[in-house]
Amino acid sequence: MKTTLRTKRKTAPVQVADAAPEAIIELRGVIKRFSNAAGEFTILKGVDLNIDRGEFVSIVGKSGSGKSTLLNMVTGIDHPSDGRVIVNGTDIYTGVSESHRSNWRGKNLGIVFQFFQLLPMLTLLENVMLPMDYVNMYDFDERPKRAIELLTLVGLEKFANKLPVLVSTGQQQLAAIARAMACDPPLLIADEPTGNLDTRSADTIIQLFELFVSQGKTIVMVTHDPSLTSRTHRNIIISDGELIDETISRSLPQLRHRHMLEFTKIAQLRSYNPHEVILTQNQQADEFFMVRQGEVEIINGSTSSRLGKGAYFGGVELMRGTPTVVDVRAGNIPVQLLALPKRDFVRVMNESPITAESIMKTSTF
Amino acid sequence: MTNLIKIKNLNKTYSTAAGDFVALKDINLHIQAGEFLGVVGKSGAGKSTFLNMINGVDQLTSGEVTVNDVSIHSLSEDARALWRSKNMGVVYQSFQLLPMLTLVENITLPMDLSDNFHPRKSRDRALELLKLMELDEHAHKLPSFISGGQQQRVAIARALANDPPILVADEPTGSLDSITADHIFDVFEHLVTQQGKTIIMVTHDMALAEKFSRSLNIVDGQLVEIANASESIAMDHTIRMRK
Ligand SMILES: Nc1ncnc2c1ncn2[C@@H]1O[C@H](COP(=O)(O)OP(=O)(O)O)[C@@H](O)[C@H]1O
Ligand SMILES: Nc1ncnc2c1ncn2[C@@H]1O[C@H](COP(=O)(O)OP(=O)(O)O)[C@@H](O)[C@H]1O
Ligand SMILES: [Mg+2]
Ligand SMILES: [Mg+2]
Repeated sequence: MKTTLRTKRKTAPVQVADAAPEAIIELRGVIKRFSNAAGEFTILKGVDLNIDRGEFVSIVGKSGSGKSTLLNMVTGIDHPSDGRVIVNGTDIYTGVSESHRSNWRGKNLGIVFQFFQLLPMLTLLENVMLPMDYVNMYDFDERPKRAIELLTLVGLEKFANKLPVLVSTGQQQLAAIARAMACDPPLLIADEPTGNLDTRSADTIIQLFELFVSQGKTIVMVTHDPSLTSRTHRNIIISDGELIDETISRSLPQLRHRHMLEFTKIAQLRSYNPHEVILTQNQQADEFFMVRQGEVEIINGSTSSRLGKGAYFGGVELMRGTPTVVDVRAGNIPVQLLALPKRDFVRVMNESPITAESIMKTSTF
Repeated sequence: MTNLIKIKNLNKTYSTAAGDFVALKDINLHIQAGEFLGVVGKSGAGKSTFLNMINGVDQLTSGEVTVNDVSIHSLSEDARALWRSKNMGVVYQSFQLLPMLTLVENITLPMDLSDNFHPRKSRDRALELLKLMELDEHAHKLPSFISGGQQQRVAIARALANDPPILVADEPTGSLDSITADHIFDVFEHLVTQQGKTIIMVTHDMALAEKFSRSLNIVDGQLVEIANASESIAMDHTIRMRK
């Protein structure tokens, strides 16, 4: 393959002085509006999000909730109407021209879509080499070797010289992933990468993602498939252009997204010092609590147990209207809880029998 | 009219774990320059296999395909890839545009890869092709900001980038609604009548057969010409074929 792709001269992208040190992606108040004949509408309504280096994150949400739009803000395929996006220490929108962004992206991001976008006239090997040519990474002679290594990693070395039409769709997607990793980016962004694959191919792809994560890569993946979210470190739900608080979605996973969003908006953050009292026996509590950070200690006479992240307490009493039957206090490290007012909690539980029932069942006291 | 493509005693057998599978059986066909040839047939009939033989993407089991007097399956793999880049544009059901490149960059890419045009020329040519597809106003957009039908027209423009005389298309309208599909047909017709391209298009939609200047049906790997009363040229070809 002849490579005469021109690489543009570039200046160093702007580093952000106050970027969160562990975060590889930081969205601050990101708003995205679209306008059409019907008027203007807001798709992302002020999204704040930090994703740390090395995290494997899934993003789910109903069709049209804004998942792809959110990813497009990170990849620079589209740009926010307001707010900032900092990726790998670089503010990718402030004072950066499209061509700088495109070069920066080539080195920092791997991107995989549902439809694989392999160039039909190039072999798998040439397709994988394409990004290296495009951003001019690796020595010219080194590129085929690196491309073969990547194809070997995804199990396609035998097909390196085949054109995409001669391999299956699952294999095409694997080649697209190899291509996304061509320039060894620290971050891989995938929009429904398993969307039109059978479960076995999908599983192969998730295993590959797990391998990348074990090597220190960060992966953010939009998916429809609930069986895949259980394999990521962190699952983020987007509802109608807003992110749901992760403590709420972890604690009450069966709740409707609109209820989760409502709770996200009214929940109060409470912080407690180690061993500080949270609830006492016989108290008429008026809040439902979810553990956000640390552990709480539940003391029932002479027995005690601990609840950590994803656990909750106080729900049964609110639903029954009875006083607290145990003492609750913070564990050995500082604790953060999210608290929901009784009135809102009980109203939503009345509309959410499955969640209400599971709170009744799993309640430890 | 000249016979642009000659297919002689073509057979294709796939070897699978379950045994050999004959996908194409003894195909003989001449395709003339300037034809808009439709190849219809049920799913699994062998249509894609047939296209892959014509454009040399896959190897045949026996027989010969000559295009412009070049026996394409006798070429080395590299020579065949080079030959293909100059002689055949390919369009598939999925548009496969690179999402990070603008439309004009997507079309420039094959020219830069093949080195057939000077880089400065390639960009002008890409813009011309976009104009031909009535997409020039979107030239600097990324593919995700245009519709599926528009993306397919960009893919067609890309297939035309190196100005190949032949375009092969495998179910190019398969994922488009019928109005959008009609538009793609108009584009193909224009390329045949105004630019003298030869187009071979595969579809499983039998209802489209009448849209082509000639239609062939593939049934279980065998070629059957569709008798089409309104197209005397079809009969002419049938007779020619039987010689
Ligand atoms: N370019 C655009 N112009 C106008 N509306 C858009 C555009 N892109 C997306 N939208 C709208 O924004 C909403 C969110 O879209 P998207 O992010 O693609 O959702 P998801 O990926 O979650 O299915 C949808 O209602 C969609 O119709
Ligand atoms: N690589 C392959 N190995 C084995 N069998 C194949 C292969 N490719 C296609 N076939 C089989 O050959 C037949 C024709 O396939 P294809 O040409 O793709 O049909 P069509 O395009 O008409 O749907 C099908 O039965 C298909 O399963
Ligand atoms: Mg989407
Ligand atoms: Mg087919």
